[in-house]
Amino acid sequence: MNMISETRQKSLLYLENVSVSFDGFKALNSLSFVVEPGELRAIIGPNGAGKTTMMDIITGKTRPDTGTVLFEDTIDLTKRDEADIAQLGIGRKFQKPTVFESHTVWDNLELALNRSRGVFATLFYTLSAEDKARIEEILETIRMTHRKNEYAANLSHGQKQWLEIGMLLAQEPKLLLVDEPVAGMTDAETAETAVLLKEIAKTRSVVVVEHDMGFIRELGVKVTCLAEGSVLAEGSIDFVSNDPKVIENYLGR
Amino acid sequence: MISGFVFRALEGRIVAAVGILLGIGILVPALNLLTPPDSAIHIPTYAMALFGKYLCYALLALALDLVWGYCGILSLGHGAFFALGGYAMGMYLMRQIGPRGVYGNPILPDFMVFLNYKELPWFWHGFDWFIFAMAMVIVVPGLLAFIFGWFAFRSRVNGVYLSIITQAMTYALLLAFFRNDMGFGGNNGLTDFKDILGFSVQADGTRAVLFFMSALMLSLCLILASAIVRSKFGKVLVGVRDAESRVRFLGFRVENIKLFTFVVSAMMAGIAGALFVPQVGIINPGEFAPANSIEVVVWTAVGGRGTLIGPIIGAILVNGGKSFFTGAFPEIWLFALGGLFIAVTLFLPKGIVGTIQHGLKARHALKAAADAEKGRGDATTVAQAQAAE
Amino acid sequence: MTSKVAFRVLQSLGLLLCLIFSLAAPSFAQQTDPKPLIDALSKADFGEAEKLIGQLAATGDARLVPALNAFSEGDLYFRKSDNLVFIGKAAGSNYELTDPVTGASAGQTAKNAVTKIKINNSLRRVIRSAMGGLTLLSPDRGVRLQAADAVLRSPSAENLELLETAISKETDGEVKARMVEARAVSLLSSDRSIDEKRTAIQTIKNYGGRNAIGILMGASAGLDPSLKGDVDAAIASIESGQRLWDIGQNVWYGVSLGSVLLLAAIGLAITFGVMGIINMAHGEMVMLGAYSTFVVQQLIRDHAPGLFDWSLAIALPVAFLVTGAVGLVVERGVIRFLYGRPLETLLATWGVSLILQQTIRSIFGPTNQEVGNPSWMSGSFPVGGMTITWNRMWIIAFSLSIFVALLVVMKKSSFGLNMRAVTQNRRMASSMGIKTPWVDAFTFALGSGIAGIAGVALSQIDNVSPNLGQSYIIDSFMVVVFGGVGNLWGTLVGALSLGVLNKFLEPSVGAVLGKILVLVLIILFIQKRPRGLFALKGRAVEA
Ligand SMILES: Nc1ncnc2c1ncn2[C@@H]1O[C@H](COP(=O)(O)OP(=O)(O)O)[C@@H](O)[C@H]1O
Ligand SMILES: [Mg+2]
Repeated sequence: MNMISETRQKSLLYLENVSVSFDGFKALNSLSFVVEPGELRAIIGPNGAGKTTMMDIITGKTRPDTGTVLFEDTIDLTKRDEADIAQLGIGRKFQKPTVFESHTVWDNLELALNRSRGVFATLFYTLSAEDKARIEEILETIRMTHRKNEYAANLSHGQKQWLEIGMLLAQEPKLLLVDEPVAGMTDAETAETAVLLKEIAKTRSVVVVEHDMGFIRELGVKVTCLAEGSVLAEGSIDFVSNDPKVIENYLGR
Repeated sequence: MISGFVFRALEGRIVAAVGILLGIGILVPALNLLTPPDSAIHIPTYAMALFGKYLCYALLALALDLVWGYCGILSLGHGAFFALGGYAMGMYLMRQIGPRGVYGNPILPDFMVFLNYKELPWFWHGFDWFIFAMAMVIVVPGLLAFIFGWFAFRSRVNGVYLSIITQAMTYALLLAFFRNDMGFGGNNGLTDFKDILGFSVQADGTRAVLFFMSALMLSLCLILASAIVRSKFGKVLVGVRDAESRVRFLGFRVENIKLFTFVVSAMMAGIAGALFVPQVGIINPGEFAPANSIEVVVWTAVGGRGTLIGPIIGAILVNGGKSFFTGAFPEIWLFALGGLFIAVTLFLPKGIVGTIQHGLKARHALKAAADAEKGRGDATTVAQAQAAE
Repeated sequence: MTSKVAFRVLQSLGLLLCLIFSLAAPSFAQQTDPKPLIDALSKADFGEAEKLIGQLAATGDARLVPALNAFSEGDLYFRKSDNLVFIGKAAGSNYELTDPVTGASAGQTAKNAVTKIKINNSLRRVIRSAMGGLTLLSPDRGVRLQAADAVLRSPSAENLELLETAISKETDGEVKARMVEARAVSLLSSDRSIDEKRTAIQTIKNYGGRNAIGILMGASAGLDPSLKGDVDAAIASIESGQRLWDIGQNVWYGVSLGSVLLLAAIGLAITFGVMGIINMAHGEMVMLGAYSTFVVQQLIRDHAPGLFDWSLAIALPVAFLVTGAVGLVVERGVIRFLYGRPLETLLATWGVSLILQQTIRSIFGPTNQEVGNPSWMSGSFPVGGMTITWNRMWIIAFSLSIFVALLVVMKKSSFGLNMRAVTQNRRMASSMGIKTPWVDAFTFALGSGIAGIAGVALSQIDNVSPNLGQSYIIDSFMVVVFGGVGNLWGTLVGALSLGVLNKFLEPSVGAVLGKILVLVLIILFIQKRPRGLFALKGRAVEA
């Protein structure tokens, strides 16, 4: 009891005993999982382990059948919808890069900027010098200043991933959920992405889902391995990759 | 703030379009009124009325484009908003007939006398007052759109499901307005109008003013639509169309965005209907027919959805074609219209204006790529600098 | 040989019977020549004509039926020169005259040489009951039954004696029952004793049904006040029995409407529900099926009239092939380019629907085409207090069998298996060697073909015109969406429940408002359950 309340006080994100099933198939099975403020966490696991489903639950896309999901110890995320949760400060990058293809890179970032999002506020919005500076700063961070007037549709796959990360930065979230960011990237791009994520994690918590073990190693952070909807092992990358259950369930395959 | 909103709207193409529309709005009535009938440049009244009708259709198409082209909501029920606006105007015009009806009843319109109404139904009160009626022209369609959209968008009815229930909505209204005891003239609708604001609806002068008003309202709505589309809200709108969940996860309330747009669009459709009725002289339940609403979709598609000028051009072209065909080869019209539906979706998915714009965009992309090539040098240095950190 | 002998025997028996009757029934005793009575019509006013018709009826001479019929149709004329009455038929600028009793031709005459004998509705009523009386003794069972029905519809005391003789002679149970009922009804307006009337009221009560209430109410005004209590009790008793039957009848109407909806929607359940194609031309496929029926019937009428009762059975495969082929062409020509773009598919298929409509309109014209009901589709039979028409009965049976057949195809056949494989996981299916484009094409053709079959059935209850399909398209989509996309059982339940709901709303709010309410309810329902009654959950459907 005591232990739990102690962890709860410090956590940014807290999941306990979360289960969800689709047509009888248990995608998450009593999953418990905690993220500390300022932490960079990696999640691995075989396909269908429930990693994306977990993100769906945190961001309000899917409602859990049972379980607790708390943000900053007090806010019950299962009662909120996607827009609410985003405004609370949880950003999410999808597995498949999702940017606004018919907008320019600049406009994509401008839309993501953490400003009032009401109908009339957006109707009468004009770009302030401050917002402009912020966008330019993000452009620098994601290394796309030279492409700011390009339509997002014309970007390469890797660049779209980066743009999406940039949009999340513009959102200024406290917690960033990143689903398979380096899928389909070249080795050089992968390395740069690792640098970028570490950079970002200096100012906020980040949860990264990834298959690429090299990438995880490069991040060098605590790793959680999911399988069949619950946590299999948790710890440093070396600890997890030597766990016999992990080898059998994931790495061995 | 507001001035910025409006100022943004006045981008080159829109200014040109408004200029042309207002030019037509003045020139056509002038040629109708000021030139002798046998003059080569005289525009006969029937042609002016016909073209006035096209302008109303263009406004309806513009309204549909705002929700379909920019927000991805394919409404198959926009004819309903158009018809409701039309009925509001029709009710005003009915009340203006006064004792000049066949039965000479000063209060009750003819059809009510015929159907043995003892007194005016409550929802007819106030429609003798122009300002009130004009308010209803936008309030009633707006309210219907609000109620409908409030339910539909909140429960995330999307895509074809939404299209199907909008169609069911206009179909239900069609059935309802056919009933005599709805109090809207049943089958025959509202007609035999006499005057508007004291001027005879048949008079050339009145028709000229109505024509000008159609051009003016179309221009104003075009500016409004342009202001919406070019604002940050407009960009969000396109975001909703292309990647709805991204917008949601960025923290926007998609249902409110859709609702606002749907209501504004319904109001525009209502205005179009209100201008349409005095120019054609009748409004009947046929305007609610689902087929009408679908036809609006094809005007918009032909001209180019997601472009503001496109639907206006599309509405005028298709309806011009319709007037020509139904006069010259009535048999062929449905073949032509059906073929147009198929051809546009298969071969011209962006529509006329959209295809042209796409060409321009491609040029823009080439230019941007060239710029990027120039900038590549410093970008790599930035990356290296950061990697070194 | 034997049949001939039997015929003779019957004939003489009939003659004998007639003789006996003419002795027994006083009205038959004066076997008067009817001709003078008919000729007297030429000078009679309406009142006199009514009396004359009564006298004609009293002759019991069945040969008079055509004349009475002609009179009622306004085809009875008298020659101005001699005031003789004839049946006249227009033949060019002349009239073709026939003798009203014997039916012998009496040559042609100029139009202005004869005058039409005037007729009005109250006379028509009298004529109808007179004819009823005259045909009650016909040797043809069907004619007797119709006659009894005719008397039931317009009872008159004058038929009473005739009815009684007819009843005593009648051997057929159903006809006799009908006659007894007709007698009871006729008796109420006669001058028979109160006790006899009281029994008649009981008889009517025992038959029950909506009509009985109407009859009793109609008769009660003219009845002796002492009978009022009996009438009221009888009405109350019929009503309480009828209430249950009414519910049953409503359910029946609902199921019958539901089966029509099912027919219209079931093809859509495949194209929209399984393949996700918004086929706005679905209604036109139904329409093509109905026109196929029309064409098949035309051909049968021209070349093999004997096969008419088989026309629907022949039309079924024809309609299936025709609409299936059209579906195949539409899929290959248009839809296949639009997979994954549902809204565009909607527009393109709407275009297809306009073209199909106009094609049919150009070939067959815009008006309704006459599609006949084979004999086994017409008529009705009573079940307790409800009436069941054969065509509805067949349509329910038919739509259910199509449903079952489709279910079997989907679940059991290898084509069904391929089809489900493709819709569930296109990429995997194609890598397993299934030719996905052809599965798509044939699935669409199957859905269209079934719409065509539905058209065959709907041609029996609806107007066959180029607009036929338009009236079904919205309802069909409602059914599929309401029932849950991708689920045949959902379509079945959706169709039946919408049908029944509609019919239960109808009595209280009227047909149109009922329909509007159902639409509004569905719209609200979709808000609550966007995926319908029997929704499939999961990512596949969301995508
Ligand atoms: N909305 C849904 N409907 C049905 N099944 C789902 C849904 N979301 C996830 N699943 C199922 O849950 C399992 C976990 O999926 P997912 O979370 O995407 O795994 P991962 O991201 O770890 O590869 C998968 O088998 C998937 O098919
Ligand atoms: Mg995943």
